[in-house]
Amino acid sequence: MVKYILKRIGASLFTLIIILSVVFILLRQMPIEGYFDNFDKLDQAVIDARLHQMGLKAPILQQMLRFFTGLLHGDLGISARYSVGAPIADIIAQKAPLSIQMGVLSMALAIALGIPLGGAMARSKSKFWDRFGTAFIVFVNAIPAAVYYIYIQSYGSNALGISMLFDRSRAISWVLPVFSMSLGNIAYYAMWLRRYMLDELNKDYVQLARAKGVASRNITMGHVFRNAFVPMIQYIPTSLLYTVGGSIYIESLYSIPGMGGLLVDVISRQDNPMVQAIVMIYSCVGIVGMLLGDILMVFLDPRITFAKKEGVR
Amino acid sequence: MRLFDHKNRRAEDAVTDAVRNLGVPESELFEFANSDPDLAEKTGFSQYSYWGSTLSVFLKNRGAVALLLVLVILVAFTFIQPLLPGQYEATRIINHPITGMQMSNVQPSLSSVVRTAPAGTKLAITPWENEEWAAVSNVVTTIRARSEFSVTGYLGEWVEASFNGQTGYVRNDFTTNLKLPDNPEKVPYSSRANFPVQLFLSPEDLTYQGDELFIKKDALEIGKDGITAELATEAELRILPTEAPFLFGTNIAGQDLWSMVWSGTRTSLFIGFVVALAEAAVGIFVGVVWGYIRRLDRIMTEIYNVINNIPTTIVLILVAYILRPGISSLIFAMSITGWVGMARFIRNQIVIIRDRDYNLASRCLGTGTFRIITRNLLPYLVSVIMLRMALAVPGAIGSEVFITYIGLGLPVSIPSLGNLITVGRKLVSTSQSYQLIFPTIVLSIVTVSFYIIGNAFADSADPRNHL
Repeated sequence: MVKYILKRIGASLFTLIIILSVVFILLRQMPIEGYFDNFDKLDQAVIDARLHQMGLKAPILQQMLRFFTGLLHGDLGISARYSVGAPIADIIAQKAPLSIQMGVLSMALAIALGIPLGGAMARSKSKFWDRFGTAFIVFVNAIPAAVYYIYIQSYGSNALGISMLFDRSRAISWVLPVFSMSLGNIAYYAMWLRRYMLDELNKDYVQLARAKGVASRNITMGHVFRNAFVPMIQYIPTSLLYTVGGSIYIESLYSIPGMGGLLVDVISRQDNPMVQAIVMIYSCVGIVGMLLGDILMVFLDPRITFAKKEGVR
Repeated sequence: MRLFDHKNRRAEDAVTDAVRNLGVPESELFEFANSDPDLAEKTGFSQYSYWGSTLSVFLKNRGAVALLLVLVILVAFTFIQPLLPGQYEATRIINHPITGMQMSNVQPSLSSVVRTAPAGTKLAITPWENEEWAAVSNVVTTIRARSEFSVTGYLGEWVEASFNGQTGYVRNDFTTNLKLPDNPEKVPYSSRANFPVQLFLSPEDLTYQGDELFIKKDALEIGKDGITAELATEAELRILPTEAPFLFGTNIAGQDLWSMVWSGTRTSLFIGFVVALAEAAVGIFVGVVWGYIRRLDRIMTEIYNVINNIPTTIVLILVAYILRPGISSLIFAMSITGWVGMARFIRNQIVIIRDRDYNLASRCLGTGTFRIITRNLLPYLVSVIMLRMALAVPGAIGSEVFITYIGLGLPVSIPSLGNLITVGRKLVSTSQSYQLIFPTIVLSIVTVSFYIIGNAFADSADPRNHL
């Protein structure tokens, strides 16, 4: 198992390097205006000198080498427009904790609401909870998140009697952003748990347990749920990605001073180095999520041996 | 053994006894069945047809059929709408013909009639060259800000006033904020306003926010002076010299939201369909190659792992950031992320069915690879491909809204649902919230329909549901 995990980490690292390189090369194709805060007023000579100083005139491979060396020292570059001259690592270090707190809270909320909903749906097939849950899942999946986020913000803040914008010190203003961020994942967990539980319910061991006279509550909780929950672990990375996507929206909608809002901000200001840094961070989050999901699976379900499965696939 | 023989013999005897007791000769008990080609055909031929069953199962799902109907009508309407009479062009900025001001933020209405004025209403005509329509209001003149006028009667929300020898009525509310004495009913006295105010012919406002309304010329009895008129019969005063209403109102730039919404729906659906097609084309091709050619499997799986690790949102943002905003770059950005899932799924299915016996047999008989793929493999995947395509459309529309929201979408000169929603978003808690509500309603109908129809179709295309 250790060997498998090491191998998996190695593969992730390799993926990460490829992705970072691709992002790096792609963003080099951007117009150079994005490296200056007052491009129009500058002389061609000054521009050249500054580009040279930033190392953007060097061959791409040399630039990349310098970038990766900087990355290993925790240096993400310097902001060009958003906060001129400030190290990006510092800006992000300020913003990241809030985003992480929100992301964790919304994931926790999604699990706390989505799992019971999925369970209730599986147990009451085609009764109230199943219908309610299905309608909810269709709603969340079919309607673009942007639309219902806007309505939740507007009507929610009206109902709670609070400002539409986020205020970190007031606990109540955390409610709407965290709830909106978790909606997609609630639907996702509920949908898959329901499907897995229904699959399990038709298996022989459940029939046997029922024939033995085990109470149906014990069957669902003790047997079906435990088995159905294992494949759910695999969705944690995906839901992490959902949270990332949602946070970009929600943070800018509620003016939350986090990383997602920052990304929208630097895109509109065309700050190339900052876009590069944040895009790279989000890609890392994705890769780490996938890795975590796979490793968790190995720990939780001893029947799974990935090393073998990969060969067979 | 012996016991069994014994039992057997006893049974045979019983049968022989029974036949004898019937009193029928043994030769008449059975008759030869001649070979009948029609009967042979009956069992060999099955009524089952895959697409027929798919259709009949789908038609049983009433909700999905209803939504399909709604969707077809809606899609057709996006093309029919510009051809209907009395439509504004989607991007045209509508100006007031007299003042030239943009008709911004006009509330939605079912007709262009603002007021119906009774017979005998006195109106002032603004000179304007037009065959059919006249520009009218009941404004005598406009009193400049801070000019003195004398109040000759107090009616609460209105006051009777005279100014420069003309008499009429002035509105008295928070918009005009007239300077009145402590006892306003003790007339006459002089007053003034901090803003320009209008002197009306009657204590009612027959204007659109101070601008002229329009009336059919034949309803007017124009006075001798040529600038005043009286209504002979009851007549309709319209916001613009046209019978075309602003069904969904107008936006801040003075564009008709009704045609913007339909034009935007057309753009968004176009993006959605093209993305779905691109996804299907690339996804099927890559998936088939990946699944069918064994040697490529390993390297393709590795490439897939790399691509799949990147959040699609990030790829979308990155590509849209690098390319210039426009329909084609948006389609490209969305297609570049979408095909991965499709390819993966096709590959998995092909790996499962490529070595089934019928395919081995087919290969032994010398069927070409292309024919095996198109005739033996892909028909199995139709339901899944259709489902993914159906879900790709709302997905693409949602992505378009997202990309526009973060400022990388289509320019405002091309209306799309994403554009309209991004603009309307800022007005959600104002009186102009209709600018968000109408686009979101249309968008939700489209996406929910696609989602439900796609799922219903996938269910009905699954042979396990064919009875």
